[in-house]
Amino acid sequence: MKYKDELIRSMEWLSEKEDTIFMGQSVLYSGNAIYNTLNTLPEEKRLELPVFEEIQMGMSTGMALEGLVPISCFPRFDFLLRCMDSLVNHLDKIQEMTEYNFTPKVIIRTSIGSTSPLNGGIQHTQDYTQVMRDILNEINVVLLNEPEEIFPAFEKAYYRQGSTLLIEHGDYYNEK
Amino acid sequence: MIDKQFLIDFEYGIKEIYEAGKIPAPIHLSGGNEEQLIEIFEDVNKDDWVFSSWRNHYHALLHEVPADKLRIMIIRGKSMSLYSEKPKFYSSSIVGGIIPIAVGTAKAQKLNGSKNKTWCFVGDMTFETGIFYEAHKYVRNHDLQFVVEDNGLSTNTPTNKTWGGSRDIPEDIIYYKYERGYPHHGTGNWILF
Repeated sequence: MKYKDELIRSMEWLSEKEDTIFMGQSVLYSGNAIYNTLNTLPEEKRLELPVFEEIQMGMSTGMALEGLVPISCFPRFDFLLRCMDSLVNHLDKIQEMTEYNFTPKVIIRTSIGSTSPLNGGIQHTQDYTQVMRDILNEINVVLLNEPEEIFPAFEKAYYRQGSTLLIEHGDYYNEK
Repeated sequence: MIDKQFLIDFEYGIKEIYEAGKIPAPIHLSGGNEEQLIEIFEDVNKDDWVFSSWRNHYHALLHEVPADKLRIMIIRGKSMSLYSEKPKFYSSSIVGGIIPIAVGTAKAQKLNGSKNKTWCFVGDMTFETGIFYEAHKYVRNHDLQFVVEDNGLSTNTPTNKTWGGSRDIPEDIIYYKYERGYPHHGTGNWILF
């Protein structure tokens, strides 16, 4: 299967789990590439949000504390930087802060913006994978390079304790 | 039964332990708002979520986290990040950091059809932050109750002076003013560790 098809397969598999919910901007309405991997899912599993990344990330943490497994979608890596406090100071530190009594499971999806056929420019195409690996302690950071890596990565993210940041390549939606 | 004197005595006990050099981390003591909090907590149910900040001892005690357990955590250096699984209690010492998390527990409670609520206690400077505006706008129709505890200061910075004035208090927020009984952190006395 191709890169995008594996993403769709992974999302459909996750959507069959009772405790999952897909959230972010353009999960219910079109507007970015990630939407095209979610539009086969039941509408009641998708929570469209305003653009408020900092709240979205913290909100995902809170929902996970109540037993849900949010698949929290940030269309471009560049936009994920808008939620660094919720991501780095809170979701990534909550296990140590609570002496491993709170282990919220959030599955974070983001994408390195595509450069072809349209190049979104310097604010929409950055790859901060290494930055995230350096700054995050508890959140597992996974770069999805090949189609065959995708489904096992989401499967592992669902079954492991704690949270995972999965990074896609926008260009691979068409190339691989 | 937790009454005003119990709260005052608890904090005084922590003060004494701290001044004996036996707490290897900052402490943020509560004081001066016992009566307001006791009244607010009459409406907090045992299965509700309560979120607080660095000054959290009173909130934890009134949410019925056992006092002995709290005291041990504080002595271990956890004053700024007290937590409890049951009752559900979480605190963070980053200004505004608890707000989005509280939005999430309230949203999940609503999605799950729960009758429980989320309570989020913030100070006057946090009340003025952008993230408070966004969260308050989003949660108007959810079961998240904000409580603003206005002592006029953020550490020692006068909130209204830095913002150039105050703003109207939204009707759906519980708001009270008080004068803090202890400094921002510590006890006001020089401690030798």
